[in-house]
Amino acid sequence: MKKIILFLAFVCLMGAATPAQDLLNRVPSTATMVMKYSGENFGKSLPVKKLGNYDFIRDDIFKMLHIDKQTSLEHIGINFEQDIYQYISMEDTCMSFVTLLPLKNEAQFLKFMQTSYGAKKKAVKKNGFSFLPLSDDSYIGWNRTTAIIVNATYQNRANYWDNYYKTPTADSTSMILVDSAISVVEAPVADTAIVQSDSASMEIELVPLDEEKEAKEEMERKIEDSLNNLKWELWQQQQDMIAQKKQQSTAEKIMVAGFTQTVHSIKNDPGYTKIVDPAAHASMWINTESILNQYSNFFAKGAYGILNSYRSYRADTTDDFKSAVNFYFEKDKLRMENRSYSASAKMSALAAAVMNSKQSNSLANYVNPDNIGYFSMSINSEAMANYYYVYLRKYLSNTLRMNEFADLVDVYIDLLEIVIDEKAIADLLPGNYIFVMHDMKPQIVNYTDYEYDDEFNRKEVKKTKKELSPSFTFALETRKEDFMKKLAALPLKYAEKGGFDYKEKDGYYELAFKEGDVPFSSLYFMVKEGKVVVTTSKEVIDMTKNNTGFAADEKTRASILNNNYSLNINSKRLIDKISTQVSADVNKKITEYLSKNLGTLKMESSLKGGMIQGTTTLNITGNHQNSLEFFFNMMDAINNIMEQDRQEREKKLY
Amino acid sequence: MKIAAYLFLFSCLVSLTGCFEIVEQIFLKADGSGDFQLVLNLSKSKTRLNSIMKMKTINGHDVPSKEDIRYRMADIEKTVAKTPGISNVKTSVDFDNFIASISCSFKHVAGLNNAVKNIYLKENASKKAPDKFYEYNAGVFERLNRYSFKEDYKKLSNADKEIFATANYTAVFKFESTVSAASNKETKIAPSKKAVMLKLNALDVIHEKRSIENKINLTN
Repeated sequence: MKKIILFLAFVCLMGAATPAQDLLNRVPSTATMVMKYSGENFGKSLPVKKLGNYDFIRDDIFKMLHIDKQTSLEHIGINFEQDIYQYISMEDTCMSFVTLLPLKNEAQFLKFMQTSYGAKKKAVKKNGFSFLPLSDDSYIGWNRTTAIIVNATYQNRANYWDNYYKTPTADSTSMILVDSAISVVEAPVADTAIVQSDSASMEIELVPLDEEKEAKEEMERKIEDSLNNLKWELWQQQQDMIAQKKQQSTAEKIMVAGFTQTVHSIKNDPGYTKIVDPAAHASMWINTESILNQYSNFFAKGAYGILNSYRSYRADTTDDFKSAVNFYFEKDKLRMENRSYSASAKMSALAAAVMNSKQSNSLANYVNPDNIGYFSMSINSEAMANYYYVYLRKYLSNTLRMNEFADLVDVYIDLLEIVIDEKAIADLLPGNYIFVMHDMKPQIVNYTDYEYDDEFNRKEVKKTKKELSPSFTFALETRKEDFMKKLAALPLKYAEKGGFDYKEKDGYYELAFKEGDVPFSSLYFMVKEGKVVVTTSKEVIDMTKNNTGFAADEKTRASILNNNYSLNINSKRLIDKISTQVSADVNKKITEYLSKNLGTLKMESSLKGGMIQGTTTLNITGNHQNSLEFFFNMMDAINNIMEQDRQEREKKLY
Repeated sequence: MKIAAYLFLFSCLVSLTGCFEIVEQIFLKADGSGDFQLVLNLSKSKTRLNSIMKMKTINGHDVPSKEDIRYRMADIEKTVAKTPGISNVKTSVDFDNFIASISCSFKHVAGLNNAVKNIYLKENASKKAPDKFYEYNAGVFERLNRYSFKEDYKKLSNADKEIFATANYTAVFKFESTVSAASNKETKIAPSKKAVMLKLNALDVIHEKRSIENKINLTN
């Protein structure tokens, strides 16, 4: 992730416009994510000279990139005036993050590489390009016009503990994974005698102990720790070597294809061209389903390390939804236009069916004029349930070993479709939901403190303080009101036994909390006229009883009623509320800066032109040329606040 | 001190929020025996703690369950009780107000040192624990501190640092003998000269701007 941020920061260092070689030709159609930084449009928003003035760029980013502070970015051979691309791809058993940089001066670039890495690394001449490993997982290749940087992560790392607990085999070797680079490795086998003795020796006797015995035990413990550490380190070294070998071969493979231009490009893929706007300052394109799949594998492996041979690389992703976010760094706001598209008519129809829904007026009534934020969602639950079958079928058929049983999976999903009544689900939850954060008000909370008399005898005293209490409402529509009423009444029977205070009131239920148990005193439940309301606000309950509502402005109502998704967060109001709870000086200054510079975040999404399309805007205030400059100004300001705080603390201490 | 360190760490892991207070109290008799009590008061942050206790992790730290905390406290109680020279060990955890305490009687200060050391070893089996946290010799009682949190604190995120912003450490030492002097300038001496109190901001202690070390001279 750090590397991704690093390269994102790197490619942000760009200039103005000139004609370009099209590096999109080298982005493969199998990529799961593609980022494009438009040299022409991006550079207009933030010239490279301006970037060099930011302290955090010079102090941190330059350092991370091994760039000398005195080096001018305009003279490192990279052509920041042309489009730069980054993409993620899955090659064999490596997930690769690839950056494609246009070069304007190979000699300058070579000098830059030598200055930054030359002392330690040696470039190797390959077929038509120079190749330089920057680290065990980062590689760079370049020719006269282009540089390709690959960050590869090997996905099939074996787990130490799988082998640690294995019974030793006669020759102490075992097969690990199916991998084209490495097939047989020495497995570290646990010394079971030592492992078993471990628990025995962990018994700690209490001091005072006989010194000799204590010293002996200490020695045994150290030896045991050292042995275990050594085994662990050897295993890790072995895995690192396997990974490094695989990562390098993958990087070389990507570069060979890139430099010889034998890549089947994503350039003419309608799934790309239909949703990526060439006029955007930057754009991010993802193959939604593939990338979700890829990342879930990545994190599952990272967390548990148990999915050694699990690969779910899917070559044919035609049916998938492709999504893109186009970024426009405007004067007073960041605008993000997102679009989702599938080349499959069936999938497009499914998407249209899911979005065939309209938010109800009665739910929109819960949005109060001075709210902190709200999120409204209106989807067709029945269509969504039908989409899940398609997704599940696709997901399972690509899961480990499941693809061998595609016919079985097919029957299983069919059975699910028969058993599950989508219409009944849709009656229960048709798909209209709204969450409103009305306000955050201070509430008085008791706490225990100590007071001391003249002789420092301690006395417990009860004091009070103000804490922020959120006032919110969550409401949804239902056509199964009787069922929901039964559900709301159910806790009454179990309240006493369960030790919670749940009571039926005048047409609603109140769950009261002990003071200090949660940040609000009560949660109210009400089912009325096809609505289920859960709220902390008694006013909302009274409103629901009287069939009245808040009077939100017309623009807000239109946004809620005319879109499937509508979100609004008043960032300034939210930050101002939260800042009252911040104590550390550094955090106070940061919240103060954000309050002055951040505006409202707004998102709307609906079906337009057969595609799911949405617009997200983040308004900015304060003195900034445009929203791109705002982000850099913000990072610089926060960095300076933190640095100043550090310096002040050190000045006080020494 | 290790108990304090443990509870300090515990509070860090559990709360990651506003305010807390550590109270260390010792009553020392002239013969070197006495009573000890350590209290961790997180009451001021109880609303947030109640919310946090419902989560599994916060800011990347695991959140222990009430059962985990009770088990840990019982374990500490058992360890302290086994230490020669220590008796009347009691622990308590009040989850309504988020106040935890441990108290015991000791025959001599060395016993108290051993109790703290045993807890340290229980938590850090392979590390070497400091031998002394307190010292009583020839009419001088000393509160020692061999720990430094400064480097660990530096590594914390801003969110984690926030919990120390208004945290306090209070030490109350009472004596049968009369206090003639205290080395720590922040120390308050009671009119009867039988008790001293040292109240410090946790951040000052962490930054080593103020010290919890104190040398108290006693006269019979």
